[in-house]
Amino acid sequence: MSDQRKRTQVADVNRSLYDFTKSEEGYERYDDGLTPEIVRAISEKKDEPEWMLEMRLRALELYHARPMAENWGPSIAGLDLDHISTYVSPKTKQAKSWDDVPADIKDTFERLGIPEAERESLAGVGAQYDSEIVYHNMRDDVAKQGVVYTTIEDALHDPQWEPVVREYFGTLIPPTDHKFAALHYAVWSGGSFVYVPAGVTLPYPLQSYFRLNAAGAGQFEHTLIIVEPGADLHFIEGCSAPKYYEANLHAGAVELFVKDGARLRYSTIENWSKNMYNLNTKRATIGADAKMEWVSGSFGSHVSYLYPTTIMAGDRSSCEFTGITFAGATQDLDTGCKVIMNGADTTASVSTKSISKDGGVNTFRSSVVIGRRADRARCSVSCQSLMLDDISRSDTIPAMDVRNATAQVGHEATIGRISDDTILYLMSRGCSEAEARTLVVNGFANPISKELPMEYAVEMNNLIKLEMEGAIG
Amino acid sequence: MAEKNAAAEAACAATPEIALERVNVAPAQTWNRLRTNDITLTVPARGRAGDVYFSLPRLFEGVECGMGREVTDWAESQAAGARYVEVPRGEKREEPIVVAVGAGEVADTGVMVREGAEATIVVAAGGEKDGEAGTSASLLRVIAEAGARVHLYEYVSAGAGQHLESVGISAGRDARVDVHQRLLGGATVALGFACDLADARARIDLDCRYHAGGAEVLDINEIVRQRGRKTRSELSYSGVLEGAAKKGLRTTIDLIHGAKGAQGNEAETVLVLGDDVVNKTLPTILCDEDDVAGNHGATIGSVSPEQLAYLADRGLSREDAEQLFVRALYEEALMNAPCDEARAVVDDSIGDRPLLNHEDDDSKGVCPQLNHPEEA
Repeated sequence: MSDQRKRTQVADVNRSLYDFTKSEEGYERYDDGLTPEIVRAISEKKDEPEWMLEMRLRALELYHARPMAENWGPSIAGLDLDHISTYVSPKTKQAKSWDDVPADIKDTFERLGIPEAERESLAGVGAQYDSEIVYHNMRDDVAKQGVVYTTIEDALHDPQWEPVVREYFGTLIPPTDHKFAALHYAVWSGGSFVYVPAGVTLPYPLQSYFRLNAAGAGQFEHTLIIVEPGADLHFIEGCSAPKYYEANLHAGAVELFVKDGARLRYSTIENWSKNMYNLNTKRATIGADAKMEWVSGSFGSHVSYLYPTTIMAGDRSSCEFTGITFAGATQDLDTGCKVIMNGADTTASVSTKSISKDGGVNTFRSSVVIGRRADRARCSVSCQSLMLDDISRSDTIPAMDVRNATAQVGHEATIGRISDDTILYLMSRGCSEAEARTLVVNGFANPISKELPMEYAVEMNNLIKLEMEGAIG
Repeated sequence: MAEKNAAAEAACAATPEIALERVNVAPAQTWNRLRTNDITLTVPARGRAGDVYFSLPRLFEGVECGMGREVTDWAESQAAGARYVEVPRGEKREEPIVVAVGAGEVADTGVMVREGAEATIVVAAGGEKDGEAGTSASLLRVIAEAGARVHLYEYVSAGAGQHLESVGISAGRDARVDVHQRLLGGATVALGFACDLADARARIDLDCRYHAGGAEVLDINEIVRQRGRKTRSELSYSGVLEGAAKKGLRTTIDLIHGAKGAQGNEAETVLVLGDDVVNKTLPTILCDEDDVAGNHGATIGSVSPEQLAYLADRGLSREDAEQLFVRALYEEALMNAPCDEARAVVDDSIGDRPLLNHEDDDSKGVCPQLNHPEEA
């Protein structure tokens, strides 16, 4: 038998669910490019306090001054800010009832299943369409517990919450962090502000969904979540966009403050279209005895740079990162995570899977930094990559920096294909070859999908399992 | 030691220096703020104006070396000459090819191991010579033709000096290379190793053991390109870090398109004994082929409390217990040294380390070879 063995054939993700567009007629769309005038216009439109405008303008200077690292990461040569509009907004006001949302936008979110999910299993929903939140609502019983779930813009106009936003905004991910963090702070719009009072446990998740409908546009939402001591929150983030031939850009920022003894689970299914440059930044800082859980599925976008970061500042804090990345044709997804362990007796666990097919490029990139104070810190990193053909690529680049003699770090990485022995074994037990390969791929992804909320697990299975059936040769 | 440093400073003052910036670079890099992608070294740059550069046959220019082109160019310019050794087809060379470098010395060596031949190569390097510290360097390029066997020993102990070691190997069909790296300290030791498994069934087995203490800096960059079908790499690293030692280890297994049936495995174990140790690791697997297997595993930690308690029950203090691991490393290096030059490197290294040279205590029983190698 030749070395050229049969391979699993997996069809592209069926994007028909997401690939529908709505007319931009009547929308407010700022000129392409990035100028101080555009930044001032965004700030003026939002009627922001002066400090925010100053922050935006300073960030704009940083953006122009900062170079892009040239020695690592996928190429973003196709991204030209001179052909990106940084602000596109439907002419509608934020609604608290889906009935008040314009029909075309409401139809979009209904097709994505958001109102239905809200009715069945969510404590609150925020829906962003291009640059602005068009719908925001939260259950009354949750609000009565003192939970705040609103937009950053609304929080900035609330005398009670403006000082809080000012205290936290841009402190965990400073504009100096990297070039696209600076861009984000210059033109940010939309996103969510969540405040969970001490000791409050939300029975259901909150969810924000981000839809970028406009072609040649950017989305720059900012998510700021504060979970006070002993509180517990599950926050879900979803995103999608129709496919265009023009480049789109997503450069959001997520800042998460998890106080002592609190727990936050942050789940994301990222399903941008394949013309999207996804240059998102997510970061959490967690206090003593706090727990941070990341569940991350990356399926879409043309290029991704995505590394959720956890700063484990408090003693006995813990962090779990569970992620899966699926790279198909034309995709170059550079994903992973960063863990910075500074507290004593901290524990971190990273488990990631990636699947590459049809020339897709997957890069798992991580860093684990254990500081001098992190006595008895424990960290394990596991990275498994599955190659489904020989035109795809999968790289693992995990960095470790250990500066404490009592810390224990374990790391393992494997890259390979589905073995013929496995397929033969399953076929000897009555599976067809197609079923056998489907079983293996689903089994590979299963540890991740079981961590997702039900509707997202179903979506992920749709993205992997259903697309494999009937497409395996 | 003060005299040594004074001598070294005087030598430095007399020789112009240049900075080799961003050398020992891994093929795939990561966040620059981690400062783990490369190292910058200051090296002497002796003027060679008017000298004839004796270089290796041009064939060797195609051999990738671990520390990169800049170091290759520097070493070629600083070496007194280039030494070429050829092992004829089918011949097993009994006498090892020894490259011995001391402070201020730079060697440029090319070895051609013809089809079916076998050779042992030993690099014995120290940054000190006659008690003087300085910079030493070895540039070694090896071409192993089809079916050749190469045994490479790299013994490095730079003392208060600095050592650069850049190695490149190209392995043909069915060639087998085994590498034994024993890095036993030095103010700064930078080692780059690259091996191209260029044709079918070529194989490398690499065993790297290292020890660094005090304020020593150890920077290792190892690259294995698996180009041929059913090639195999087995890379093993184990080391002990003490004091305020700084170690950077970058390993890359590059499974290149077309290397069907290739396997690459890499494992690292690090014992951290010092509170001020900086231990950086970047174990990379690059995969451009589906019919391959690449695996990496790493364990970084200290002697567990359970192990310490067990040893304490048998009368060993924490320090004694930890030094057992260090002694084991030196003992192994000594026992497996392939020639006198390599043994001398281990001896020199032991001499620099008081903890290993307990002449006035009763610890000889733990590892007599370390104190009296001639009795072993």
